[in-house]
Amino acid sequence: MKKTAFINDKPYSFEPGDTILSFVRRYFERDFVPTLCDAPNLDPYGACRVCSVDVALVKDGPCKAQASCHTPVMENSYIYTDSERIKRLRKNIVELVLTDHPLDCLTCEVNNNCELQTVAARVGIRDVRYPEGKNHLDRKKDLSHPYMTSDFSKCINCARCVRACDEVQGEMVLNMAGRGFDAHIIKSFNNNFFDSDCVSCGACAQACPTSAISDVFESKSVSADKKVRTVCTYCGVGCNLEVAVTNGKVKSIQAPYDAAVNQGHTCLKGRFAFSFYNHPDRLRTPLIRKNGELVPATWDEAYNYIANELNRIKKEHGPDAIGGISSARCTNEENFLMQKFIRAVIGTNNIDSCARVCHSPTALGMQRTFGTGAATNSIIDLKYTDCVMVIGANPTDAHPVTGAKIKQFFMKGKPSIVIDPRRTELARYATYHLQLRPGTNVALLNMMLYYIVMDGLEDQKFIESRTEGYEDFKKHILNLDINELEKVTGVDKSLVRKAAHAYATSPNAMSFHGLGVTEHSQGTYTVMLIADLAMITGNIGRRGVGVNPLRGQNNVQGAADMGCQPHQGAGYLDSYDPEINKMYSAFYGVDVPMRKGLKIPEMYDASLAGKMKAMWLMGEDNAQTDPNTQHVVSAFKQLDLLVVQDIFLSETAKLAHVVLPASSFLEKSGTFTNGERRIQRVNAVVEPLEGTKPDGQIMCEIMKHMGFNQPDYHPGVVLDEISRVVPFFAGVKWDELGENGKQWPVKPDGTDTEILHTESFKLGKGRFQTATWRETEELKSNSEQFPYILTTNRELEHYNNGTMTRRTGNVEILTEDVLLINPADAQKHNIADGDMVCISSARGKIDVKAKLTDEVKSGVVSSTFHFPDIHMNDLTSSVADSEAMCPEYKVVAVSIRKSKGVYKK
Amino acid sequence: MSRKILLKHIDVPGIRGLKAYRENGGYQALEKALKSMKPDEVTEEVKKSGLRGRGGAGFPAGMKWSFIAKPEGVPRYLVCNADESEPGTFKDRYLMSHLPHALIEGMIVSSFALGANTSYIYIRGEMLYVYHILEEAIAEAYEAGLLGKNILGSGFSLDLYVHPGGGAYICGEETALIESLEGKRGNPRIKPPFPAVKGVWGCPTVVNNVETIASVPHIVNMGGDEYAKIGIGKSTGTKLISACGHINKPGVYEIELGLPAEEFLYSDNYCGGIRNGKKLKAVVAGGSSVPILPGELFLKTANGEPRLMSYESLADGGFASGTMLGSGGFIVMDEDTSIVKNLWNFTRFYHHESCGQCSPCREGTGWMEKLLHKFLDGHATIEDIDLLWDIQSKIEGKTICPLGDAAAWPVASAIRHFRSEFEEYVKNPHSIKDVKHYFRINNLVEQ
Repeated sequence: MKKTAFINDKPYSFEPGDTILSFVRRYFERDFVPTLCDAPNLDPYGACRVCSVDVALVKDGPCKAQASCHTPVMENSYIYTDSERIKRLRKNIVELVLTDHPLDCLTCEVNNNCELQTVAARVGIRDVRYPEGKNHLDRKKDLSHPYMTSDFSKCINCARCVRACDEVQGEMVLNMAGRGFDAHIIKSFNNNFFDSDCVSCGACAQACPTSAISDVFESKSVSADKKVRTVCTYCGVGCNLEVAVTNGKVKSIQAPYDAAVNQGHTCLKGRFAFSFYNHPDRLRTPLIRKNGELVPATWDEAYNYIANELNRIKKEHGPDAIGGISSARCTNEENFLMQKFIRAVIGTNNIDSCARVCHSPTALGMQRTFGTGAATNSIIDLKYTDCVMVIGANPTDAHPVTGAKIKQFFMKGKPSIVIDPRRTELARYATYHLQLRPGTNVALLNMMLYYIVMDGLEDQKFIESRTEGYEDFKKHILNLDINELEKVTGVDKSLVRKAAHAYATSPNAMSFHGLGVTEHSQGTYTVMLIADLAMITGNIGRRGVGVNPLRGQNNVQGAADMGCQPHQGAGYLDSYDPEINKMYSAFYGVDVPMRKGLKIPEMYDASLAGKMKAMWLMGEDNAQTDPNTQHVVSAFKQLDLLVVQDIFLSETAKLAHVVLPASSFLEKSGTFTNGERRIQRVNAVVEPLEGTKPDGQIMCEIMKHMGFNQPDYHPGVVLDEISRVVPFFAGVKWDELGENGKQWPVKPDGTDTEILHTESFKLGKGRFQTATWRETEELKSNSEQFPYILTTNRELEHYNNGTMTRRTGNVEILTEDVLLINPADAQKHNIADGDMVCISSARGKIDVKAKLTDEVKSGVVSSTFHFPDIHMNDLTSSVADSEAMCPEYKVVAVSIRKSKGVYKK
Repeated sequence: MSRKILLKHIDVPGIRGLKAYRENGGYQALEKALKSMKPDEVTEEVKKSGLRGRGGAGFPAGMKWSFIAKPEGVPRYLVCNADESEPGTFKDRYLMSHLPHALIEGMIVSSFALGANTSYIYIRGEMLYVYHILEEAIAEAYEAGLLGKNILGSGFSLDLYVHPGGGAYICGEETALIESLEGKRGNPRIKPPFPAVKGVWGCPTVVNNVETIASVPHIVNMGGDEYAKIGIGKSTGTKLISACGHINKPGVYEIELGLPAEEFLYSDNYCGGIRNGKKLKAVVAGGSSVPILPGELFLKTANGEPRLMSYESLADGGFASGTMLGSGGFIVMDEDTSIVKNLWNFTRFYHHESCGQCSPCREGTGWMEKLLHKFLDGHATIEDIDLLWDIQSKIEGKTICPLGDAAAWPVASAIRHFRSEFEEYVKNPHSIKDVKHYFRINNLVEQ
């Protein structure tokens, strides 16, 4: 029986937990009751009192004014939203607020899009009865930051910015200082945006009802010609963005509140770092190498050159002398076309994507245990979980929106575990930080499993009904030498035991992992152990649990789904299976090969061995991003033909024979699949920059040029083709994806799936897999000469190799790569903060600036590869995951010393 | 009606120390409660006693205790609100500085009743010397095994902390106090949830005034029923009144509730009449925030009944002709006092102390002060009286916490009862220039 209350004398039913405001909004438009301090993604605060309504407990009883935003609805109460008394009250409150507000609306940035203005108009202020008095109109603007601005003379003390900083981002940079009339917003230690700890997420600017906090793009002004909703191109979170366009150019970006993924939040990359898209460095014409120089050419010249070369090589060396690397930065449609081009037009399985260098072990490890290589749950499950374990991931930097949600969870004091060699931001908030030695994930997870088995914390029911292979697994675990593992990992076993207990005994525990798991020689094994942990504790198949890889790039899930790996075609079907091969051949209308294809590292080796003659890279900059740069560069230099499709002349493009100028995500349509399997529509915001073409169009055109019958490019048409071959895309329709997309598997009738493995696994039963820790070859052979361990990481401000973010204001916030080094180690080598340090590995040496920090333990150093001048990947090794060939970026044996000569600063 | 309970031994030399306090019956209630009673029995006695919160609102303490949520495995907290900052009120300071162990014993017994193993005394930061007195007394109590683990072998443990505030009146509001105690900015929380469900560190919490808690041991000693016999009607027990202003004998008095107001004001046992033989003009009976009453309305209700010093009698007639017992800050004004000037001073205080969260209070208190200043400057108009009325009516009951009410009531009652004086300021700004009397808040000190 629903409970009822009356709004303006008419009965309506309300839900438990409804406030008067949420109750009224259930039946009337959002601004039916005016508000100032209320915001869609913030908790009620009750400060402005403009939302007051009259409430009587009985019909015609005495009314009391109540702030509707935080007052619970009383059953059978009578709510009057617009009584004369209330109208007067609202008017008087707004009048009071206006006494300390500059009435310069005509010249204000948010003119016509100001909530104060709207509310003032709504309540009918015509006059302010107060004489001019002391006010705050002379407050100075803060223009210190490349993006964030503030003008607190416009502030109305609603604290929405403070709450956004606390409740949405969790940074707590903004705060209220002073009391009463003197109450005002401050940043960190009362400094400015630039000097504060602000992470520039812009949540405060978006939350501010006036222009007191805004950004340099004036994202709240109404001057846009149109607003287009699309999906962010940066990380795998997949934030929805609302892009404002003026005169055919991107003006500003905001985050839609109704976005399922990001609920009105995004980070500085998504919100502000878009100016790369029309940067002067953008490629605007195809380039062909003539006499050693890349010179401009027409598209036809470029296509003819490529087609001739590819046909020649195919004829002389066979199709397997050609390989393609697809990109997780591109759409599903483009990735599908890329692998189709390589398989159906060229006729080889030499297709791979950058998933190889990030989450290929996740896909493989989870396929071996569960059957499906994708996140089992959704980000929204953070609301339902009781324990979060983050392994080898630094989401507050690399997946900021999800990171902020995890941080919010951590800050609530629920059990939280971080397994990471670095003391990341999350580690500082975690209940248990297991700071292991890099490269010992398998050992540490085995320790956790050991304690779960030893202390009898297994979920017997789940193990019996849903899994197989447990007895052997248990035997293996019980044979482990826990003391040896403790020594290897460097983590106190009693701490590991506590963490294991927290994970195993929480009603619902969920794990997240990132590249700190996969980019190791035992990456796949680590993933399997994470899956084992979930199975042994029964944390699979319902809300608030699961194994959730934090996908690195925006569409790394999609690139793998589309078949950009040699052994699996579109939809992960085995490309070496004769039956499936028949199906694919029939589908593409040509015979596709069954011969084994090469993975990325194998392609380099093949090139150096003279077997690989041509490579096509779609939006990849392997010469900067792949490990052991010199090895990669030599491999590219050996090729007869290197085609690079990119938006900038990247380090790799500089080596190419043909460079094709592609369009950025703002200029094209298609779909991205985020880390929680959500297929979302990317919508072209602006026309492609003159001279460039979307990658999908380039693929279609070259396919046609090479005589393949491929229709003209349209993402909807390609998506339709995909839905006919990829089983879990069966019900995906271009027109039915809506604004928030769908999570695969999507059934033919269009219903999607938030949680995988609810009833059974794709394999039927989950398979326990064992793994024994082994020291990586890199350390075994090199640690004597190179005693430190370098592990690579990411910074919030930059994305991957930085080709995009370095061409935005982000570069003013974070200007260079630095080497994180423990003060004790620094002292040993006489290195001071800011000194240049020379790091050497068995591959090479580079110089980088030192930053002394306790974020890393003694013996471990850490750095990024966002800036090409540093050549960080000159150091990294060719050692790779034994199963999936994902390179071991996270463990590099190095030596350090203070730099000499010119590097000395 | 001169029964003393709380201050019975105030004149005993060395009563501040544990030894003298114990020799005069101190910590007997603690032994009785911990050794022979169950926690709920203590609560039951407090309920029976009819003890009402002495901080100002007068909510029955036993009932407040019975609201505390008791979820499994979640700690509960007792917090003593010793952030006594209401202008005109200085009774808690007096009690704590002279009888620290009375509060400590009360804290232990109350914590026992509530099942709290950690309790806090949140003391106003300016009372640093009282803080030191309490710290010393707590150290004595720990030393004697009255605090800490397994008190008197009863199995009950309690740690007691004194936390000084940072100098904000708003932190006397229980939820702002909790925020401040947690180390945050002292803004009030929105309710629900109430502290009894989610208080300190998100755990069930009871916040009680110093005097309330100090009364608990006496209730335990004499029994709730016996305590309920003291006083009148629902105003049971005794109450500390801090009397100040234009009286002959300012100071802190313990009265049995129900004492005739006239006797309190004029008897030599208490205030001793208006000083310098002047006539009574007005009384603020319960701290600066309660409505001011003209002398005659204070002494006799609108119905002509003699006014008594009790919760009910002082409130008789509602705000039209009554006031509140409040915190017991009793301020007397003689015939020379300027109500407007005095009101300006009170309003200046609330303006200064508004936390700034709710817009009506943040902006409204400032404008009330500015408008009142206009009166004093002789620039006010008759419309300003209405505007002043308008502002206060938009603050009262329209804010998260009662600070808004506290700021609005003095303004409303001054206009209600002394409108002619405001009009006088408008009509003859020059004639009232000489009026000098008003209450400087800083002068309201214990004498």
